[in-house]
Amino acid sequence: MSFYRSRKIVAALLISVLLLTTACSPKTPGRFDQAQQESTKQKSGQAVAKTATQGSEFNKFFPKSGGGYESAFAQEKKGFAEAKLKKGGKEVALLSISDTSSTPEAAAKFSKSTKKIAGYPAVEQGKTATAVLVGKYQVKVLSKATTFTASDRADWISKFNLNGLAKLK
Amino acid sequence: MNKPIFELVDQLPTGGLTVSVLKALDFVAPGEWQNTVGFVNTIKTVTGEDDESLIQQIGERAIYLYNDRSQGYQRAMWLYQTVDATDKALGAAALANKVGETIPLLGFLNSVTPKPDKAQTIDLSLKVVAELVAFCQINGIPGDSIGDFVGALGDYSGESLIRLAALVCIDGVIPLGPDFIDKALSFISTLNPQDLSQNQTFNTIQDAIPGNGTSGKLDFIGQSLDSVKGWMNGFVAQNNLTQQNVVSHLKSFVEFSDDKLDYLAAFLDLSTNYYEHTGTQTLARRLIERAVAEI
Repeated sequence: MSFYRSRKIVAALLISVLLLTTACSPKTPGRFDQAQQESTKQKSGQAVAKTATQGSEFNKFFPKSGGGYESAFAQEKKGFAEAKLKKGGKEVALLSISDTSSTPEAAAKFSKSTKKIAGYPAVEQGKTATAVLVGKYQVKVLSKATTFTASDRADWISKFNLNGLAKLK
Repeated sequence: MNKPIFELVDQLPTGGLTVSVLKALDFVAPGEWQNTVGFVNTIKTVTGEDDESLIQQIGERAIYLYNDRSQGYQRAMWLYQTVDATDKALGAAALANKVGETIPLLGFLNSVTPKPDKAQTIDLSLKVVAELVAFCQINGIPGDSIGDFVGALGDYSGESLIRLAALVCIDGVIPLGPDFIDKALSFISTLNPQDLSQNQTFNTIQDAIPGNGTSGKLDFIGQSLDSVKGWMNGFVAQNNLTQQNVVSHLKSFVEFSDDKLDYLAAFLDLSTNYYEHTGTQTLARRLIERAVAEI
């Protein structure tokens, strides 16, 4: 009887020791620690390819304001340009063009594409994004309002000057 | 200073004096600001996505973008932190546990000295310039694009709008009155480069301010302030901001008498970091918006 009892005590002690040591051991890596480590190996040039097109080159391919919608440029960086799309003063979507030479996996996702928009391979991502691949450039529309549906996104993608963008080197 | 972006966003407080002050300023921009904290939570809020693998991709891309110094995001964060950082620790530590209760300011006055108008004006001006330069860094337009910045001001919303509301109220209206911008402009016009070079915040951020030498930078500061004059005066008029009006909204958690407004301004300056808090939120939002568009 006492043998079992002491075994119980030993087990309880072992569990306590286990809990204590795990609590004190270095914390398990978080979900973003690896990205943090890899992206800080050098101070610059990690995120955007040297050969990426300047964002200002993209501006002329964006859809113009009209039909109750207003578009205004928000960010313009090397390899990236983005505009907000508003209706009645409220932001309904984000329009963007990015150079996938910095993000090869972004281009790779189109290889499984079965749909086309305006003749270009298209994918839907999550609940809010629709994108097409035009050469090395990704054109993406993100819904910001629930009223802005997937078919609105496809419409707005086809309003970009995609054929013009395809000729941009 | 070099904390990972996800840690900076994860560590934003959900309570405390800074959050209370920002919430109290909701009356100038009703419903504009939610105190979104936590990196994953911010990704979910900004993108509307809840798929874990998508969130992971967005988060990783945002981290890469932030850590690439050529992209300017770290510089913007440093500006938000720096203009807010001077002499903060004392007040913040003393008050961290007091929020939730009403803070009797009178007992605290011994350790607070109101700033002279000149120092207050320089502080206000440097925050305006930091906003302008950080805006340019984040959005990728040249650092001296005053025109683009002023154009974008009308479009400010959410945490950016509440940051400017706090700037107008805490660093403008409370210490200097509703015509603070005119007062500040006339102060700046009498300032000489030596006055400016004695200011600690200026010395820290001067390399980020466009202009040749201290006098060129002083000119740029004056131009920046002048360019936001219309927007700020409009904001004051639109919300009918007076010292009493602003202060009445803060009275639910800070007790003080109306003849001590200059002390209140110093106290809030010392004990809040609204600029860094909302700046971190603005930066995280812009990074995530870019990341989700690029993945």
